[in-house]
Parts: sequence; structure tokens; C-alpha cells
Amino acid sequence: MLELTGITHRYDGCVALADIHLRVNPGEKVVLLGANGSGKSTLLKIVAGLITPSGGQYRYKGEPIDPQRLKDRALCRRFRREVALLFQNPDAMLFNPTVFDEIAFGPRQLALADVDARVRHWAGVMGLSDRLERLPFNLSGGEKQKLALAALLAVEPEVLLLDEPAAALDPRTTGWLIDFLAELPVTLITTTHNLSLAPELGSRALVLGEDHRLIHDGPIEPFLSDTDRLRAANLVHSHRHRHGAIVHRHDHVHDWD
Amino acid sequence: MKRDRLLLVLYLAALVAVTLVHDPLALALGLLGLLLLAGRSAPRLLHRSLRVILVFNLAVSLGYALLAHLRGFSPWETLLLLNLRVLFLTLLTFLFISRVNLFSALDFSPTLSWLLALAYSQALSFQRAHADFRLALASRCLERPRLIDRYRASAAAAAWFMDRALATARDSALALRARGFFDA
Repeated sequence: MLELTGITHRYDGCVALADIHLRVNPGEKVVLLGANGSGKSTLLKIVAGLITPSGGQYRYKGEPIDPQRLKDRALCRRFRREVALLFQNPDAMLFNPTVFDEIAFGPRQLALADVDARVRHWAGVMGLSDRLERLPFNLSGGEKQKLALAALLAVEPEVLLLDEPAAALDPRTTGWLIDFLAELPVTLITTTHNLSLAPELGSRALVLGEDHRLIHDGPIEPFLSDTDRLRAANLVHSHRHRHGAIVHRHDHVHDWD
Repeated sequence: MKRDRLLLVLYLAALVAVTLVHDPLALALGLLGLLLLAGRSAPRLLHRSLRVILVFNLAVSLGYALLAHLRGFSPWETLLLLNLRVLFLTLLTFLFISRVNLFSALDFSPTLSWLLALAYSQALSFQRAHADFRLALASRCLERPRLIDRYRASAAAAAWFMDRALATARDSALALRARGFFDA
């Protein structure tokens, strides 16, 4: 469904992604892991057809995709409906005057007959039914995240790209999101640097190293038990632990979101 | 005096001097001089300057022209002077930024270096956020965004930036106070 071949990207001469090769099949739930600045968000933006990679090729259902090719109206319309990206900062995605209009934005572009029902359905799923007339700007961080997700799901995308979706959520909402995503019948790529969440978000891990290369593509569990590779990806750290009078040091993970 | 600092002094002097020039011809010649100084980057800097001032200057110029029409006086000399001066100042600033390392120019003062670092980090973080707002709109539009959607997206972005700028300024001021910046 998604195929990246030799993808490289640079920002102002600095490498963000180096020689990325990967393929994602329909219905797969993939976790994209990496330390801050490893290129996770850039990779999602390339997959969403928002930025043109400096090198390599990206194909969606066999069709080459980049912003230039998406100037083709028919391709753009199909691709944007089928591939949706939840930005790390949900504020970037919310610009309509009410929560209702925000969720209705996609369905209205498609001139769907059941806009009202779709909006109420997704507002209900996300627990936003009593917020429909509110200004999105005034919602809490977690509510904005849910609203942005509802706005994307209202057009029933086939591929959902989530950039650190739990970063602004409280523990209860994070638990809800994990359950919700597990049941969602879409191809899912979720970025995170939170290792305790990662196995809950997908069984296949893509890991970007600090050199911006893909250092692992496969089942997540073996990777999580491989300390050397975790260290290479800057996903574990060590510091002194104090247990009463005993002090020792070892590699471990903190959930620092 | 090191090069960057000397250029900073000259830039500040030019900013003051140009506000004292009231002859459009002199300003036009000054503008020409700036473009010659810019060399190969002149078209890029001129284009960037025009884009930056276009909306604001157009609004001010149209307002002034309307006022002049209602009161029955000629606005042209003032409008020419105003627009040339703003363009000169903007182009001068872009040229200055492209040629001078501000960190090096201000390294004589820890306080100014500190403030510059704060402003620079803010600018970089806002630049990244601005790019995300633009891409997010593109990602949600199945067609080319309508004008109303662009206005709404711009308004939402402006509100977010204002909110964030106020919050960050408050945090920065508290951080500076905590580090004794205001105690001297």
C-alpha cells in the first residue's frame, strides 16, 4: 500500500532522513520509534504527500506521490481522502468556527449527504457531543486532539498517520486512545518515543536511529529487549538509582511525555 | 571594531538617517544603491521585501488616498515618500540580516546576546509551527482551499501565535527574573 524507496531528506543542508526503504501493507499497525529529532515527523509528512523528499521515491497504491503530483485534482482528492495525518500540534489543524464545522469540514468537501449524522457520530465517539457549538480554540489540549482525530475520521480514511498522538493526553485518555486505535479498521502508522506505549500501538516497529537511518523494521518485542539497539537509537538511558542505602546504575526507560 | 559590530552601527545609523530624508528622489537613489550592494541576491531580497510590506502598505496607502480625496488634497508625494521609505528600510534590514552575524555583532554585551538568543529561538520555533499550520491546512483540503478557509486558517494561526507569544514572553520574563536578569 505504501512503499518508500531510498527516501532521503535534508532541511537547510542538515540530514533529516537517510536512505529509508520500507513497505506497509493494508491493515498493518506500525509504530515509528525514534528519539526527538530523528526524523519521525518528517517521514510522516512525506507519507502524507506534504513535503517532497530530497531523494528517493514514495508510492501510494503504486502511484508516485509528492506535492507536485498532488496538483492533479483527481489524485489529490482521492489521496487526501484516503490518507490522513494527525499533526503533533492539533492546533495546527483546527481553524473552523465551531467544533461541528471542524468535523464537518471534510465531509462537506466531499458533498456527502449525511454530514450531520457523521458529525454527531464522531463527536459522540470522541466525547465531544456537548461541545459542538464551542470554538475549537477554547477546548483543552486533550479535547483538541480528539477533535482533530474526529475531523480526520469523518471522511473514513484508509491510512491514518498519527504524530505523537499521546503526547498531550492524560493517562485516562491515553488508555482510551490505545483501545480506540486497536479497534480501528485502518492502516495505521503511529510515531512515539514512549517505549512503554509502543507495543500497545502496533506489533511492527520501524525505528529511526540518531543517524536518521532505519535501524530496525520488524516485530517490536525483540527490539525492545535489545539493549544495544535501544541505546543506539537513544531510546534508553542510565542514571544512578537509590534503593535505601543501595545505589546502582543500569539502562532503563522513562516515559517522559 | 570587528566587521559585524561596525555594520550593526552603520545599520542603526542608516535607520535613523533615512527617517530624516524627505526627498523621494534621494530615497529612490538610496534604494538603487542598496540593490547594487545586494549584488546577485538583489532580486530575491527585493521580492521578499515587497511581499512583506505589500498588504500593510496597500492598506495604509489606500486609506490615505481616500482621506486625501475626501479632503481635496493631492496624496501622491506623501504616498511615494512613505512607500519608498518603508521599502528602503525593509530592504536594508533584509540585506543587513543576510550579511551580518548578529550574535557576533552583539557579543560585547552578555545581556544583548541573551536577549538575541531568546528572540532567535522563538523565531525558529514559530517558523516550524508556521510550516505545520500551512501543511495541516493542505492535508485537510481535498481541493484547493477556498479563500474563506484560508482566512479562517490564518485567523486561527494568528490567534495561536498570539496566545503562544504571550505565554512564552511571560515564561521568559519569569525565567530571566529567576536568573537575576532584573536585579542589576
